[in-house]
Amino acid sequence: METQADSAQLLRDCSPLVKFARLDDLLALGRANSLWPLTFGLACCAIEMMAAGAARFDLARFGAEVFRPSPRQADVMIVAGTVNKKMAPAIKTLYDQMPEPKWVIAMGNCAISGGPFVFPGQYAVVEGVDKLFPVDVFIPGCPPRPEALIEGILKLEEKLTGKRRWPRVKPEGEQMKK
Amino acid sequence: MSESGINPNKSGVPTVAGAAEATPPGSPPPAARSTTALPPSPPPAPQARSNPLAHLSIAFQPVDYSLKGYHLDATVAPEQVVWAAEQMDREGFSLDTITGVDWLAEGQMEVVYDYFHATRPLRAVVRTRIPRDHPEIPTISKVFPGANWHERETHDFFGIRFLGHPDLTPFLLPEDADYHPLRKDFTA
Amino acid sequence: MNAQASISPSPAAGPPKETFVLNLGPQHPATHGVLRVKMTMDGEYLVRAEPVCGYVHRMQEKMGENRTYAQYLPNTSRIDYLSAMNYTHAFVGAVERAARIQVPPRAEYIRVITSELNRISSHLVWWGAFLLDLGGFTPLLYAFDDREKILDLLEGITGSRLTYCYYRFGGVCNDVDEVFLKGARQFVAHMRPRLKMYRQLVTENIILRKRLVGIGPISPELCRQYGATGPVLRGSGVAYDVRKAEPYGAYPEFDFDIPTFPEGDSMARYLVRMEEMAQSLRIIEQGLAKLPAGPVRAEKLPRVLKLPAGDYCYAVEAARGRFLVRIVSDRKEIPYRVKLRTPCLSNLSLFEEASRGLLLPDALALLGSLDLVIPDIDR
Repeated sequence: METQADSAQLLRDCSPLVKFARLDDLLALGRANSLWPLTFGLACCAIEMMAAGAARFDLARFGAEVFRPSPRQADVMIVAGTVNKKMAPAIKTLYDQMPEPKWVIAMGNCAISGGPFVFPGQYAVVEGVDKLFPVDVFIPGCPPRPEALIEGILKLEEKLTGKRRWPRVKPEGEQMKK
Repeated sequence: MSESGINPNKSGVPTVAGAAEATPPGSPPPAARSTTALPPSPPPAPQARSNPLAHLSIAFQPVDYSLKGYHLDATVAPEQVVWAAEQMDREGFSLDTITGVDWLAEGQMEVVYDYFHATRPLRAVVRTRIPRDHPEIPTISKVFPGANWHERETHDFFGIRFLGHPDLTPFLLPEDADYHPLRKDFTA
Repeated sequence: MNAQASISPSPAAGPPKETFVLNLGPQHPATHGVLRVKMTMDGEYLVRAEPVCGYVHRMQEKMGENRTYAQYLPNTSRIDYLSAMNYTHAFVGAVERAARIQVPPRAEYIRVITSELNRISSHLVWWGAFLLDLGGFTPLLYAFDDREKILDLLEGITGSRLTYCYYRFGGVCNDVDEVFLKGARQFVAHMRPRLKMYRQLVTENIILRKRLVGIGPISPELCRQYGATGPVLRGSGVAYDVRKAEPYGAYPEFDFDIPTFPEGDSMARYLVRMEEMAQSLRIIEQGLAKLPAGPVRAEKLPRVLKLPAGDYCYAVEAARGRFLVRIVSDRKEIPYRVKLRTPCLSNLSLFEEASRGLLLPDALALLGSLDLVIPDIDR
């Protein structure tokens, strides 16, 4: 019969071959590294989203290159652009059609708060997509650079897994002081 | 950088005589570029500008293209817009756009029809005024099918009813919209 | 399946027996924005296509009545964000025309160079997205790679990648530097062989030709009735370009052609845009060679700009067609009315008539060849 000390020694011997982890952590890692975005470009930010998926900025290396047209197959809805009062029921339907677990990234100032189109007497723009459903990550910018979108996706991955797997880019000190 | 808009272009479209602006035809080409900003150009000489569309019965007045951006301007009665559109159609013009303007202080709404021609360097404007509390005007969508959407949009923004329009439902506003946002007395 | 067979609404004789309504959009990968098309289908054939717009209506014309002339400049970039320089040009041009502001020659040349760079980047996005609609993913990556080079150049002088706010009343915001000029020359040298490669690999590709030749014919008369302009009109054989018809800025001093193809099908519109990229490279080259020295902004502008009463227009040739700004002023510092005549609205309005009887993929090829940006329609 094995003693506890034997089991502990066995675990240590096997550790180069066998790793143990909680299933939740594994699932979170899998989800974070293969986020499938819904193609939901509404306006100008859509072009920067396309540029983030194109060759120079390459979302594919973060697992998020497979933009799904159908909400049934998507994990994350990147709301890129202005949400209108006419469009709001459609976008709510799309959100409801996404299966759990699902996340929302609000990309650009329009999706965060209505952006440059909010003025006294405005009648058509929904002031922020978080008025319709919960948002996980906000990416400011008008439009945000593709690097900002990538940073937003990395933030979402950090939210899922609890730790950030990619190095944080620090702005170059001297240039910031100018 | 002449603002005349009547330069002979590569496709050989003939210039319209008599409507030249700052550089009269036959003038020498511009001198070598100086290194400082050009002095402000003198106001255009008061030449007699002719109306190339004088054979139409629309009372076009020639205007200064370098200031206004169009060559001919006419004001017609609201009942005459279809007749004017038919004449412009026969001349081969395209409808550029239909603009509504809400003159709240005067109790009127103005409807401006912009026309452009694909082969003649001419820009014509036909405008009309209708009472603000009863804004109705005949549709020109049977003459220019492209006017269909322009009129729907003008109806969306101002509430102007285009009589005879096949489908005056909201175009840019939600389907159930009952407000007209570009009216000057609109509050959200 | 040849083009003739796709025109007939149904293989069987007689009227279609049973039609259904298929909703394309507003969320759809091939509508280039938020466009909804209610399509009445007879099998695979389109009986009636009714575009429904307004899903990205952002009140641009209403905002014109709530912003001063200078405050409205960022809005102009966001009407058609792919061709933002041209749109800003129209607005500043209208104000300069009304206020009789003289623009220095160097600024006019810089405006032409940046507008043409913007035109190339807009056509590249169209090209990549159009091929994506037709089923080819690779050209999108090549197009975006070339486009990034343009964006690097423009970011160096304007600070923005997409929605520039570079032009000011009386000139441009700041001067171009040697990095930009050198980079632009290098870009022209890089782009010419790329266009040749695109022609050999994509334009002359048999699959693309079968998808586009003879598909979606649009006659010049249809264009005239709906007011279509730009490559849609030039692809139907009418050589109308605002840069030649109503010359503005420094364009009269440049030597370039207007590519026109008479066939009127989707291939003709495609070829017009590819040729236009080559012509834009010609214009940029001439602009770089002849760029005059001097200030880039008019001096002695009033602090608060107020235009004399009346209405003023300015038209430019944007990447998608004729863009007109009409400003109605009542001598205040905010305009009384700003009207934006956008090319995509007129171009899309003929879709209902032009797409009758087409097969669904052919209708999407036609829609893609119109090169639509939906915020341009909805404003």
